[in-house]
Amino acid sequence: MSRIPFSPVTINWTLTFRCNFNCRHCYSRPEKAPELPTEQVKEIMAKVAKYKVPFINYGGGEPLLRSDLFELTSYATCLGFNVSMNTNGFLMTREKAALAGESGFKTVGISIDSTRPEVHDDFRNIKGSHKKAVSAAKFLKEQGVRLTISSVICRINHTEFEDLVRQARDLGAEQISLHNYKCAGMGFTNKDELDLSPAEWKEFYLKAIALREKATDIRISMDDPITATIHKAPEQAIVKGSTCGKLSLNIRANGDVTPCGFIPVVIGNLLTDDLKDLWDHSNVLEKMRNKKPKEKCLTCKHYEDCLGGCTARAYATTGDFNSPDPHCWVAK
Amino acid sequence: MRNIRRNPDIIWREEEEARDEALRAMERGDDASGEGTVLLVESGMMHQLNLLGGEIWKLLDGIDEERLVDTLAMTFDIDRETLSMDVRDFLIDIDGRGWLVHE
Repeated sequence: MSRIPFSPVTINWTLTFRCNFNCRHCYSRPEKAPELPTEQVKEIMAKVAKYKVPFINYGGGEPLLRSDLFELTSYATCLGFNVSMNTNGFLMTREKAALAGESGFKTVGISIDSTRPEVHDDFRNIKGSHKKAVSAAKFLKEQGVRLTISSVICRINHTEFEDLVRQARDLGAEQISLHNYKCAGMGFTNKDELDLSPAEWKEFYLKAIALREKATDIRISMDDPITATIHKAPEQAIVKGSTCGKLSLNIRANGDVTPCGFIPVVIGNLLTDDLKDLWDHSNVLEKMRNKKPKEKCLTCKHYEDCLGGCTARAYATTGDFNSPDPHCWVAK
Repeated sequence: MRNIRRNPDIIWREEEEARDEALRAMERGDDASGEGTVLLVESGMMHQLNLLGGEIWKLLDGIDEERLVDTLAMTFDIDRETLSMDVRDFLIDIDGRGWLVHE
């Protein structure tokens, strides 16, 4: 695409930073922000709807801890949004799964990081959490809610992703998202223990892309710009490099806007600022959309396709959007 | 002749700024075929349509092919035969992707 879309295509929305889990990789665990009351969240939703943003995805924080979650979703659906969420599933009941369907959730994503319950429970620091996540998936399927599974790829599961795909398929998920590990929040604190080496990332992606191309009954999603160095998509991507700030923005629990959940740089607040004004005029977004190669990227033949890889990882580890992605395996 | 509709499962929106720019380029006689004027999302994949594709897409709410070409001929200064072929090629392409419903 020759230009950035006129407004975000997806808003990732942290309705709350509260969480009933304490996961070892969590980007948002150390974050604190006052939570907006229902009416102010609705006020922001109405402002965002003015710019025809088609998708809202609640992340977090655990969305099910918001007692007004389904009220907000009904409201958002009436405004024309396609609403989805990511949840650990622990608080999902049959009744809440029914409410998820009634309120208009287009899909609900359940986080499951291993097929082995003890590994998942240890990673998520909650005993019984795998069992609850599987139950949540079943409740959602019973109620006819479209299901996706999210798995954060890291040291505990990178050689077992085929089992994760199989588990997701068995649960009836339409898609499994194999999320790349982000060095943000607890993910930064625990990166030496959990993150993979660049060579391991390359090996994982080569195998996962091969599996994705064979999979016909489930979509395997891997949204990581460094895969452009080993795989040419069949159709040209709408934008190259990281999509945050180009196709998506993040809203925090207090209405602050950041380019993505993993980049804690506030560019405005939607209680007082206009979304389109931020989208068109933020200096931070401008820098992210017009990255300049540095270090090994300066001479890399893949730069025009990957644009330096994940901007969030580069920023988390060096404080510079333009630094090469620390996951990048391409030699200097 | 059967009427054609967009597959309702596909989420889409018009990129108004890009469309305006593409129309201006067309008026100047410049090539605007690379400008994405409609974004659509299907099964988690994002796609874009250029000006002609986008204008066809917007009209697909229960319309037959001949009426579609008649309507487009009011916007596009292309001979009727070429326009008909372009429309036919586009419809075949998106039908193959499952983006259409035939009534």
